[in-house]
Amino acid sequence: MQRQFLYSLFATAILLPLPGLAQQPAKPPAHPNRASRTAQFLGLGPAPDQAAAKKGKVLFGQNCSSCHGENARGGEGPNLLRSIVVLHDQKGEAIGKVVRSGPGMMPAFTNLTDQQIYQIAEYLHEQVYLATNRGTYGEQYATSKSSGNAQKGKEFFAAHCASCHSVTGDLAHIGSKYPTVDAIQNRFLWPRSRQQAVQGTVTTPSGQKITGKLKQLNDFDVALTDADGHYHYWPRQQVKVSVQHRLAGHRALLPVYTDADIHNLAAYLLTIK
Amino acid sequence: MKFNRLVLALAMIAGAFQAPAIYAQTLDPHTLTLFQRPPKVWPTYNGDYSGRRFSTLKQINQSNLGQLKLAWMYRITGIPPLRGVGSPQIKSTPLLVDGILYFTVADHVFAVNAHTGDLIWRYDWVDHGGHLEGQRGVGMYGQWLYFMTPDDWLISLEAKNGKERWRKKIADVTLQYFSSMAPLVVKNHVLVGVGGDAMDVPGFLEARDPETGALQWRWWTEPLKKGDPGSDTWPNQAAMRHGGGMTWIPGTYDPKLNLLYWGTGNANPVYAGQSRKGANLWTASIVALNPDTGKLAWWFQASPHDTHDWDNVETPVLFDATIDGKPRKLLAQATRSGYFFVLDRTNGKSLVSKPFSGGNWSKGIDEKGQPIPNPEKQPLPDGSLINTPAGGGTNWPPPSYDPQTQLFYVNAQLGYSINYLYDTSAHPQGYGGGGQSLDTRSALLALDIRTGDARWKHIAGGKAGLVKSAGVTGGILTTAGRLLFTGDSGRLVAFDPASGKILWSQILAKNVSNGPETFILNGKQYLVVGAGDTLYAFTLAGH
Repeated sequence: MQRQFLYSLFATAILLPLPGLAQQPAKPPAHPNRASRTAQFLGLGPAPDQAAAKKGKVLFGQNCSSCHGENARGGEGPNLLRSIVVLHDQKGEAIGKVVRSGPGMMPAFTNLTDQQIYQIAEYLHEQVYLATNRGTYGEQYATSKSSGNAQKGKEFFAAHCASCHSVTGDLAHIGSKYPTVDAIQNRFLWPRSRQQAVQGTVTTPSGQKITGKLKQLNDFDVALTDADGHYHYWPRQQVKVSVQHRLAGHRALLPVYTDADIHNLAAYLLTIK
Repeated sequence: MKFNRLVLALAMIAGAFQAPAIYAQTLDPHTLTLFQRPPKVWPTYNGDYSGRRFSTLKQINQSNLGQLKLAWMYRITGIPPLRGVGSPQIKSTPLLVDGILYFTVADHVFAVNAHTGDLIWRYDWVDHGGHLEGQRGVGMYGQWLYFMTPDDWLISLEAKNGKERWRKKIADVTLQYFSSMAPLVVKNHVLVGVGGDAMDVPGFLEARDPETGALQWRWWTEPLKKGDPGSDTWPNQAAMRHGGGMTWIPGTYDPKLNLLYWGTGNANPVYAGQSRKGANLWTASIVALNPDTGKLAWWFQASPHDTHDWDNVETPVLFDATIDGKPRKLLAQATRSGYFFVLDRTNGKSLVSKPFSGGNWSKGIDEKGQPIPNPEKQPLPDGSLINTPAGGGTNWPPPSYDPQTQLFYVNAQLGYSINYLYDTSAHPQGYGGGGQSLDTRSALLALDIRTGDARWKHIAGGKAGLVKSAGVTGGILTTAGRLLFTGDSGRLVAFDPASGKILWSQILAKNVSNGPETFILNGKQYLVVGAGDTLYAFTLAGH
């Protein structure tokens, strides 16, 4: 699966006789950053050629899936996502040899063209890529179907959330903004982006109180910018710091939620379009 | 003197040693014992075989911390950002032999003069794949170093000049195996393990000949075939041989018992357990192996049927203590699963099993002391909330055991996570799910080895700064100077190991990123720590 290394090393030598070179570059995924960042981190190659993979999927269904399973994860024949041949294949050259020769129980497929074998190979590489690159999961498995009960979620909201939030005020359209189950749950459980804007009040040894946006707060240092935008710093031990946690209400709920509460609340908030 | 004897003993093994009067970089693993080492060396990843990371040195102590000053710093330069990771971070613990420090980042080995911080040589590898996220350091035998590359080469270098002697490929990077471990040298065995759980491959640990690199034995973290011991914890052969269980952090070794202790990684597919019903031995376990044969002596599973990515590779720390009036040979591990375990290391019998971070993923412990997973708290398609962060209760940064306080110290993560099962099919692959951390904070915990209770905890304060995170980072070192060193919010900090009080700190350019270490050179005690791309050395002023 780290095909890019061989690409760069042997691009000309290996790819020239293959139809892959003439293909358009793969269509970028909808969230290129997350998927490509993860691919880079894992040392995976670039995303497979999606146009070819799409055609390959049809060909795979016609020729291969009856033995290797609908999505190539095995049936009577082996799981191809874990096949050494597939994992070492670059652009169909190794897969093609097997397909044409038909080793063991497998029949030989002599009717498939180079182009078709390339397309089947890209389909298999795409299946491997989608399983291996967890940066694609959010998009792959995105669902807005919650198992929760929206009515119960509404009741939970009224009891636990409504003192700070309103679905016609600050949370208007929240279900459109976070349209999937995991996105909306991750958001209401712990809205991480809000965590950064912490207000604090520092009381100096002389009793002066300065309130502002905390820039730094750890075991040693306190720094904040006050309402006029001035930066202030104190050694932590010399001052008292009180912090207004914006997420105090969210923190208090974490030990309280049942999984059903979370699912119900998600089902309700997903209706707030 | 002990160290000269060590050098001479090595000379015989190496067969190439001419003049013992000349300083040369050599190390004989036969002279290393469980808890003792010469003060002039830090010869293994953990400093000795026990993994305690406790030093008997006390020149630097509570009374003179104010005189601690920077002796030198060495900043890595000339290395472009590492693919998918960025600026190199020193996660390795340098070896110190005959005044030279050997340390690594992914693809690079450095030899630095420990007196001055000057670079002596650098070895550069060009990888063809693999993760560059971590590199824990080198192992040493005689005049030779052992280094693992992201794309699964074990490379032996000459310590004097960094020249390659040989290389051996130990795994296939196209299957998403990658290697980042510091090889552990025990007798005439170079022990090497692997990482990588993006695809579903079986983990293993193997021993190689230090002279030639030839394979001596390989122990798989899963049974090879149905019918073998442990195979009844897997539904079928395919699940078992694609079951994960990586071995990416050096283990520990008891020379008297001649047992090697190793932690194994999470099961695969990582979050999707439906195709691997059963406990999935020996993933997410502590195992005791004979280093000469690779035969399994006992095992203890920390996260049976793991579905939370809880690699159990955290250092299994060895120490002796009196329990209920009896001297005991013990092993303790603070795990990603959030549990703290204390075992009898002769047989794996449990003395303590207690959560230090959350623990509601389990329903309690079984008769063997192993947690029982709660099926309702496994990842769900709609998410399941647990009171342990997504990365687990702790991770690879090395913990410490201080025999003076009889406390076990660990940098822990506290908080919550919601865990999703994405791939609900009968044949999930790879991760098949994921976890999201919620409201996490870090804490330095001092755990009582008899009860597992935190005798004290230091919850790092506050909010991230502009360039450094607020929180405890890196590994832990304890010393006979009644000091505990670790990272906190961009500083190297000395704590009182008895009380948790902060005694001293030094601002560094980045967060502490490795386990601090200490040794004596020319009568001076050095404290060496890595933070990001820089290695810092401290000594006392006036010494």
